[in-house]
Amino acid sequence: MSAAWQFYISTVLVYLGVDVMACWGLNLQFGVAGLVNFAFIIFQAAGAYTAAVLTLGPATKGGFQQYVGGAHWPFPLPILAAGVVGGLLAVLVGSFAIRRLRRDYEAMVMLVVSLIATSIATNQVGLVNGPNGLALVPKPLATMVNLSPLGYQWLFVGITAAICLCVYWLVHIVTSSPLGRTLRAIRDNEQAAAALGKNVTGLRMLAFVLGGVIAGVSGAILVEFISAWSPGSWLYPETFVYFTAVIVGGSGNNLGVMVGALLVPVAFLEATRFVPQFGPPGFIDALQWIIVGVLALVFLWFWPRGVIPERRRRFPPAAQGEARQPLTSTRTGR
Amino acid sequence: MSEPTGALLAVRDLHRQFGGVHAVNGASFEVPPGRITGLIGPNGAGKSTVLNVIAGALRPTTGKISYRGQDITGLPSYKVARRGIIRTFQISSEFAALTVLENLLVAAPSQRGEALRQAALGKRYWRPHERTMVERARELLARFDMSAKEDEYAGNLSGGQKRLLELMRGLMAGPALLLLDEPMAGVNPSLARRIEQHLLDLHGEGLTMLMIEHELAVVERLCDPVIVMAQGRVISQGAMAEVRADREVLDAYLIG
Repeated sequence: MSAAWQFYISTVLVYLGVDVMACWGLNLQFGVAGLVNFAFIIFQAAGAYTAAVLTLGPATKGGFQQYVGGAHWPFPLPILAAGVVGGLLAVLVGSFAIRRLRRDYEAMVMLVVSLIATSIATNQVGLVNGPNGLALVPKPLATMVNLSPLGYQWLFVGITAAICLCVYWLVHIVTSSPLGRTLRAIRDNEQAAAALGKNVTGLRMLAFVLGGVIAGVSGAILVEFISAWSPGSWLYPETFVYFTAVIVGGSGNNLGVMVGALLVPVAFLEATRFVPQFGPPGFIDALQWIIVGVLALVFLWFWPRGVIPERRRRFPPAAQGEARQPLTSTRTGR
Repeated sequence: MSEPTGALLAVRDLHRQFGGVHAVNGASFEVPPGRITGLIGPNGAGKSTVLNVIAGALRPTTGKISYRGQDITGLPSYKVARRGIIRTFQISSEFAALTVLENLLVAAPSQRGEALRQAALGKRYWRPHERTMVERARELLARFDMSAKEDEYAGNLSGGQKRLLELMRGLMAGPALLLLDEPMAGVNPSLARRIEQHLLDLHGEGLTMLMIEHELAVVERLCDPVIVMAQGRVISQGAMAEVRADREVLDAYLIG
């Protein structure tokens, strides 16, 4: 394989890892717990800014970019910090958005929060360098390992894959356990779950925070890879790309949303890159957004359960001798 | 007003307003242990509101609810439920995308693996407990003739089966007091009779119930005592025979 292809493929793989993580995080919130988090992208953004600032070092007075809280933290601390910040932001947003609000209003509040966040980051130039965003974020470990640019690309793919595994472990223990079952029950009927002794607010908050942590980590990996981050990268429509991915892949199914991440943000957006430009400038980009929206609509109408639907959990019969058999779960379409 | 003499639940001078409407306007009554207490009255009498306030779904404007001698007024519904007061809903409230068995498993109290820390300990930690719960759930399914529906999505059940699930799920939670909001609403007569028999059996096992019901024949067969509400007030209580004889009840309810 030529070096150019390897560069391209490794880049796509890192994007895929980031999108898969983000989709797992959103699936935990939306697919499993029923939280319509239209502000999802700001948690990714918060993680990205955190990791960038903690890698860039203190901002110099009169330097070309201004931001707060700069530091030179070694890898992987900026990524961990990004997860913490994503989680804390979820606690903050959740404290007013997911208590005592009906779900449709909750979604509205989330969307508003997303717009406010963009406004603040763009206009408070001293915070994270305003509309220009942050650039020249040093790549992690780049000074410590002595690799060719191509070798470094593959190292990054490895780092991304390792972090993906950790994130998968986290979402898996939630979705496969009684905790996941209770979250799905809350998604289906909050009142009934509360009447059975489930702390609905607490459990939704838990899912919201876990999703926030995951979103933060995914943003951190993205920024460490592309070395730049600005408000243009996290406008609210980006959230809907992830929503489309989750819906297309199969809301509530970790494997499904992984496929969704592969199909929507990666395969689809990459494929349109190769479409020859035609029409007025920006036409293809605009068309992308329209097609993503139409894709979500078509799936919601015709395949609301997605490509790989949520699994139907079956339990083995409790006959003697079989009692030690593991519980099986089989996938079924309806 | 007598002091709670062995009552499981005591409601004292309960008021609940919605805007300017007094849905409940000074209701007081007691639920004795081991009996099926009937709560009847015309539409708009405030029965469901009383049930919602007891279950913690609504806060009372004023008034006091005590359960086993402890004040539970204004507790959120999940805390009320954890004390053993489990309610069912008038409109079926199944977890539609969960199977029937899973619906029951969700109801099991203090499950292992329901907290994140426990879930992180892995299947080996929570599975033995879950298996016990699966067995309990299957016993309930067998008892209610619903074993064949174990793996069916609850959302696909018929209206009558959803009523049964509602009741089974309430029982799975291990209630000390079961609040039933029209458990036979909208089911065919033969299923209604089956549900009635189940309630009698549960009564025989010593379960305390408070039940809203419109069908007076059913109330007569199942409930003692009976509480009659009209316009947010309790207008009569006692055995069905006594209540029937009450002039005020006749005026407010039985005649029209």
